[in-house]
Amino acid sequence: MNKLKSGLSSVGQFFADFGHAVADGDIFVKLSLVWFGAGYLGRRQYIKAVIMTLFEVAIIAYSVLVGIPYISDFGTLGTVQQESVFNPVTMKNEFNDYDNSFTILLFSVVTLVIWAFTLYIWMYNVKNVYRLQKESEQGRHINNFREDLNEYINHKFYVTLLALPIAGVVLFTVVPLIVMIFVAFTNYDQNHMPPSALFDWVGISNFVKLFGGGLTDTFGYAFVRVLGWTLVWSFFATLTTYFGGILMSLLINGKDIRGKAVWRVLFMITIAVPQFVSLLLVRNFFADNGIMNTILSNIGLTGFLQDMGLISNSYIPFLTAPGWAHVMIIIINIWIGVPYQMLIANGVLMNIPSEQLESASIDGANSWQTFRNITMPYVFSVTGPALVTDFVKNINNFNVIYLLTSNFYTTTDQAMANSQAKETDLLVTWLFTLTQDYYNYKMAATIGIIIFIICALFTLIAFNRVVARTGEGDFAS
Amino acid sequence: MKKLLALILAMAMALSLVACGGSSDDGGSDSSSTGDASSSTGDASGSDEAEASTGSTGTETSGSGETISLTVWGAEEDQTLLAELVEGFKETYSDYTFDIQIGVESESTAKDTVLTDIEAAADVFTFADDQLVSLVNAGALQSIDEMDAAIQNYAGKSVADIEAANSAGSVAAATTNDTLYAFPMGGGNNYFLYYDSSVLSEEDVASWDSLLAAAAEAGKQVGMTLSSGWYNASFFLGAGFTTSLNDDGTTNIDWNGTSSLGYTGVDVVKGILSITSNSAFMAIADGDISNQIASGSLCAAVSGTWDAEAAQTAFGDGYAATKLPTFTVAGDEVQMGCYSGFKLIGVNAYSENVGWATLLAEYLTNEEAQVARFEARQLAPTNLNATADDAVSANIAIAASSAQDVYGVVQSVGDKFWDPTATFGEILAQNQLSADDDDAIQAALDEMVSGVTAAIE
Repeated sequence: MNKLKSGLSSVGQFFADFGHAVADGDIFVKLSLVWFGAGYLGRRQYIKAVIMTLFEVAIIAYSVLVGIPYISDFGTLGTVQQESVFNPVTMKNEFNDYDNSFTILLFSVVTLVIWAFTLYIWMYNVKNVYRLQKESEQGRHINNFREDLNEYINHKFYVTLLALPIAGVVLFTVVPLIVMIFVAFTNYDQNHMPPSALFDWVGISNFVKLFGGGLTDTFGYAFVRVLGWTLVWSFFATLTTYFGGILMSLLINGKDIRGKAVWRVLFMITIAVPQFVSLLLVRNFFADNGIMNTILSNIGLTGFLQDMGLISNSYIPFLTAPGWAHVMIIIINIWIGVPYQMLIANGVLMNIPSEQLESASIDGANSWQTFRNITMPYVFSVTGPALVTDFVKNINNFNVIYLLTSNFYTTTDQAMANSQAKETDLLVTWLFTLTQDYYNYKMAATIGIIIFIICALFTLIAFNRVVARTGEGDFAS
Repeated sequence: MKKLLALILAMAMALSLVACGGSSDDGGSDSSSTGDASSSTGDASGSDEAEASTGSTGTETSGSGETISLTVWGAEEDQTLLAELVEGFKETYSDYTFDIQIGVESESTAKDTVLTDIEAAADVFTFADDQLVSLVNAGALQSIDEMDAAIQNYAGKSVADIEAANSAGSVAAATTNDTLYAFPMGGGNNYFLYYDSSVLSEEDVASWDSLLAAAAEAGKQVGMTLSSGWYNASFFLGAGFTTSLNDDGTTNIDWNGTSSLGYTGVDVVKGILSITSNSAFMAIADGDISNQIASGSLCAAVSGTWDAEAAQTAFGDGYAATKLPTFTVAGDEVQMGCYSGFKLIGVNAYSENVGWATLLAEYLTNEEAQVARFEARQLAPTNLNATADDAVSANIAIAASSAQDVYGVVQSVGDKFWDPTATFGEILAQNQLSADDDDAIQAALDEMVSGVTAAIE
């Protein structure tokens, strides 16, 4: 909460400073409200003046030539449908001057980001020029261009370092994210695919549809079930691999175990083999007519289960029936995920202060008590934050679910099938099916926003709790 | 020095961000390039200017000195053949200079790749006929009818000639809204019965009842995929049920009602259940049929020409194939139908050189090309003259495919058809419905129909 407050107040401070600068600045400062370079010219910083003027010209040119034409279509996302006529003489199609809704959306967002950046530069520039005015009034030294540049490799070095990564994040993460959020409020789908067709704003109707308020759709029905399984899956997948990994490394690090390195390497092999290879192999292994079923039916277990009435087919539907598949996926994930946790736990366990363990054994603690009161709190204090990120990672664990079930698991729940979902789908794999196979970009974007909200909320809450409770100093003290 | 290192690391990180962003978000980067393309054809600039620019490029191409660049996408197994045919095309039109690139794109996934970014897709591409409607709805396919003038001028035949030269079914499969949108390239994309003639006689394979009885006697099984609408439709189509497409891409389906032959959907389901409840029947997961044929536990299997080699290896000297058997509906023996699938070659409506792209597509599907494709790939021709070829009719799998094709209909279904029908087939395969419970069967049929006919939201 405090962080939020201080963040808000520093933003407030920025605007207040800008206000002061405009009110108290001299003619050069006021002039730089319209001409970016004016303030620097007034202080004889000619190179900076030229750079800022060029920047302003470039922004104005971009806005007039590209930005404004796209932004003006932003409200309608285009009105001119594509039409073409074939000209047999030139052997080419002649197109009309058509609108492309997606291009309009994309360029509008890019333009808005550029304008927001420009607004910031504009205000920062005025503030900066006002600072220069103050400095010159007080008769202090004003940096020349070379000295300014030197600042950026000396005590403003962090700015230089961060400039590129931030530009990358804005360009390749923030802009697509904003576009995706906008798509959730349009009807961009199979029947409205640019460039041949236009799509349009539809308000929050996609969200209404997702939560079951729509037509006779089963989208809401499917959404609740998919969300439920997503949460159940993330909980069990995280918990089982976490404790599995710790137990495994405790076992390997045990006093009486010989050939520790050999064991460690053996369990690491699952990491060395690419995940998709091992997952596809395991999938075929547990197929209805796969090796596992053949073995089990040869030793008579399948027949026995059939007689008991536990299964209705001549095979055990390991990965093809709800319930069975859910449990199998979590079990297979243990096998895939434990080695990673084992590696982490290994490192942590080796660092447990041996005095604590020794004094515990002198006090007569048994191994469970040692584990419960010393090992676990120590491991948890170090890996707690990682546990939170693991949970979020598992919400979006595309690989395991998709490779084990896609084109393999056929749901028998007709209401699910009518929404292109199946019982084993996570939100993210469902989203993949919708975009990849059905071009339902608007619903995919809507689900994407929901996933984002769930992950963000969970991370915020969990991090605040876990990190607050397991502050690094606590254990050592 | 430290700072320099830090700077380099920061740049490396930024670069890797750029690289990741580029690959994972090709939607964004592609569309920015399409933005450039569309603005150069006059999106932002005045329309007068745009007309002027298209006019000038037009005169350039009609002069024969200009190089015409085209891209063709074909299946992996077609690459060598395509390269030969493209050389033939260049020779045929040797007055013009071509730069033709050949790319790999499976016929079954062409739609997905093309629709990702139509303007960046190949000028000419091969695809399976079930993708036709989606491609047409997205505006990706050039109407061939509009190109009549170009084809007459250069290839010396009309669109009507092409339609007459190919089988009626294949032309119907390439036509929607009374417009021809692609050239038929090959047929035989349906399914029929492979069987081991050392185990089963010709009488045995005539009906499911005798087939399953004979298989049970030999201790073998008969395999078929049910968990796919493409396969399980064969029962409903045989009993006279239909599917059709609306203009908005939604599907009409009448499987929960009464067919033109007077059977109800419930009757058909009961017929299927009598097959699936037989222990000599093996329901096979979609895509797993080749493995099951190879495993040796089957004496007969429903599949298509692509499994000819697997069946030949598994059945050895007993290798045989025939049309699908009959099954029992309300006491009658009814011949199973099927969806006849075709492979088509389409022209990208956004192609720079759409006229030449059409001529290339025409060349790749003419009689000689189809014969060459049969020889290289065992793909059944649609061209009537090529079909009459002796080598074609002697091929066991293709002969069975054409025998079944008599009962085939053009597959006219939208995207929403697949999941509900796959689920319905899986319910049947797992015997989750009881043959005595008419109401439950009707309810399941109704639910499936509501899923298939759902609006595209």
